[in-house]
Amino acid sequence: MATQSQTVRPVAVRSSSRRRKYQIWRAAFLLVAPFTLLYLVLFIFPTLRVIQLSFTDAPLIGAGKWVGTANYERLFKDFLFWKALKNTAYFVLLTVIPNTAFGLIFALMVVRLKRFQGFVLAAFFLPNMLTVSVVTRIWQWLTSSQFGIFNIMFGTNYAVFNDPNWAMPMIAFITIWWTVGFNMLLFIAGIQTISKEYYEAAALDGANGNQIFWRITWPLLWPTTALVLTLQLIAQLKIFDQVWLLTRGGPFNSTTVMLQFVYTQAFQNFKGGYASAIALVLFVIILIASIIQYRVLRTGGSR
Amino acid sequence: MKAKGLLVLVLALLTFGYAQTEVVWWDFLGGGDGIRMKKLIDDFNASNDDIKINATTLEWGPPFYTKVQTSVAVGESPDIMTYHVSRFPLGVQGNVLRPITDEELASVGLSKSDYPANLIEAMTYDGNLYGVPLDIHSVVLYYNKEILGAAGLLGDDGLPTFEGLESFNAGMQIIKDAGSIPLALPGDEGTIWRTFYSLFNQQEGAQFITNNQVTLGEQGKVALQTITDWISNGYAPGNTAYGDAIALFTSSQAAMMINGVWEVPTMVDLAAKGELFDWGAIRIPVLFDKPATWADSHAFAIPNDAKKPITPEKLAAVLEVISWINKNSLFWATAGHIPAYNPVTASDDYKMMEPNATYAVLAETAVFDPQSTATGVASPTYDAVLNIFVPSINGQLPVDQALEMFSQQVSSNMQ
Repeated sequence: MATQSQTVRPVAVRSSSRRRKYQIWRAAFLLVAPFTLLYLVLFIFPTLRVIQLSFTDAPLIGAGKWVGTANYERLFKDFLFWKALKNTAYFVLLTVIPNTAFGLIFALMVVRLKRFQGFVLAAFFLPNMLTVSVVTRIWQWLTSSQFGIFNIMFGTNYAVFNDPNWAMPMIAFITIWWTVGFNMLLFIAGIQTISKEYYEAAALDGANGNQIFWRITWPLLWPTTALVLTLQLIAQLKIFDQVWLLTRGGPFNSTTVMLQFVYTQAFQNFKGGYASAIALVLFVIILIASIIQYRVLRTGGSR
Repeated sequence: MKAKGLLVLVLALLTFGYAQTEVVWWDFLGGGDGIRMKKLIDDFNASNDDIKINATTLEWGPPFYTKVQTSVAVGESPDIMTYHVSRFPLGVQGNVLRPITDEELASVGLSKSDYPANLIEAMTYDGNLYGVPLDIHSVVLYYNKEILGAAGLLGDDGLPTFEGLESFNAGMQIIKDAGSIPLALPGDEGTIWRTFYSLFNQQEGAQFITNNQVTLGEQGKVALQTITDWISNGYAPGNTAYGDAIALFTSSQAAMMINGVWEVPTMVDLAAKGELFDWGAIRIPVLFDKPATWADSHAFAIPNDAKKPITPEKLAAVLEVISWINKNSLFWATAGHIPAYNPVTASDDYKMMEPNATYAVLAETAVFDPQSTATGVASPTYDAVLNIFVPSINGQLPVDQALEMFSQQVSSNMQ
């Protein structure tokens, strides 16, 4: 900045540069202020309050008594907390990589289509436009033990959401069915940015399909893959809606997840302090998982 | 001329507004209940010039109670609200409910003795009464008179002749052999809890909570095993959704159904259209030592708003509303609920109302949810029932393990 003002206006540099600096700072401050203010009020303040509340026995609304680390001691002894933690991890395992992989596979298939591409694209993407309540209701109907189409087809009376072994995989499957279209779109966008010349050159050199994918498409698509994986991890750690609408944590707590645990403690049992402690632990877990994933994905990209 | 007319109108509205006390009312009554309550409110407004109820219906369950809690905290609470008696423990603990004194009741011609004693007891904490009951609602046994009659299970009075568990199960075996489904049992947590808690309390010595721990004991085992056996013996289809159970019963596929009294209007409406068989509803039969049926109650409560305490005029108006609705609750009974106000249930008009008058006896031996924050509508207990009992009765887990898991989970919410 200083060099520029020297070259343009060599006279009276000192007095005006200080003023300009002030003006620039003022403009910067004014431009940043609205966001900073909102950020402080809507994010930092509530976060600090949650930390504070987690050391009290506050009800849902209003202040509580200081109870030290009692909430955390209770939390680590609460079998439901460990169960919810384990189930959330299981759900992440069942969805993050499969959802990304299917998104990639569908994208690769769709871009190869010569005809009906728009139709197929729409078919895959359509579930994504439905709200979670519609999606879960559709699958409740499909899997109803009395009147559901699968049970009628096979003449059975099987309630998948009452089966502790299959309830969570089913929720994961529905989640993938619901959201894979968006991942597919991201991958299609990524694939289309890869220059055709690479493929032409590879074809001239006699590379086979396998080689083309692993040597060209996969590495050049890595930024997209990393993005999808990151978005997926964060989204799936926050699993709540599908579980709440389909099983409410059952059967036998086999689908109880972290956010649901927070919700029931806060809004059903009116235990604001305890719910804050759980929420804070979840926050730390997501933070650590994101950092680890960021590191891992960075090394993956340097291949 | 026009301006003058407008002025007169404004003045008229103003004076009218001054003379009236507005009562802000919140309830959670959707569906058939809600339509009936709207009519009661309209009737009240039409017949009372000095009080106007301004009613809002909010979403049932946790959203309603969360909003009440929030509104009391910030001084924006209504003047009167409906409240489940089973939800009183959280309300009393959260300081949301204002006690109502005997004098206040007497000022509008009411007294505790106008209501069933067990209900008043369920609403009293440390000697304070925290609301005025409107009704008692429970589960009943709906039955198809044609199927039960053909199976020889009806007495001369047209009522089922079940006495004890063996007789009930034997009756279901007869129905099953004749090719019908004996019992439609909705598999939602509400119905399973209500059925379980009824059977549990029909046994001597049953006590759900002892020293802040869930104590189900032998009685709990018998109750859960009984329900499990109904399903495993093919008396009741497993995994039945709430709506599916109603469909099984109303389409004559199932001979009986355990469900809430609030489904009475469903049957009445179908019967009025000529689309239903000859039907009836009775108190859940005594299968064990003594009669007992789970029950809850819709009550009226006044928010305990410290930031905006209720004024004496408002209080008088609210009490007037409570009294009027109670005294006119015969119409509320058409929703299936049993009015809590004794003079109404003792009236000839009520005794003519069927099947309500037949199952009304359940009120005397009704058992309300324990006075614990872990039980009641939309409580950790309901969650645990859905989570553990429902899959267990469908054969996913032995009864012993399910009871242990259930006790651990509900007890962990009592600390």
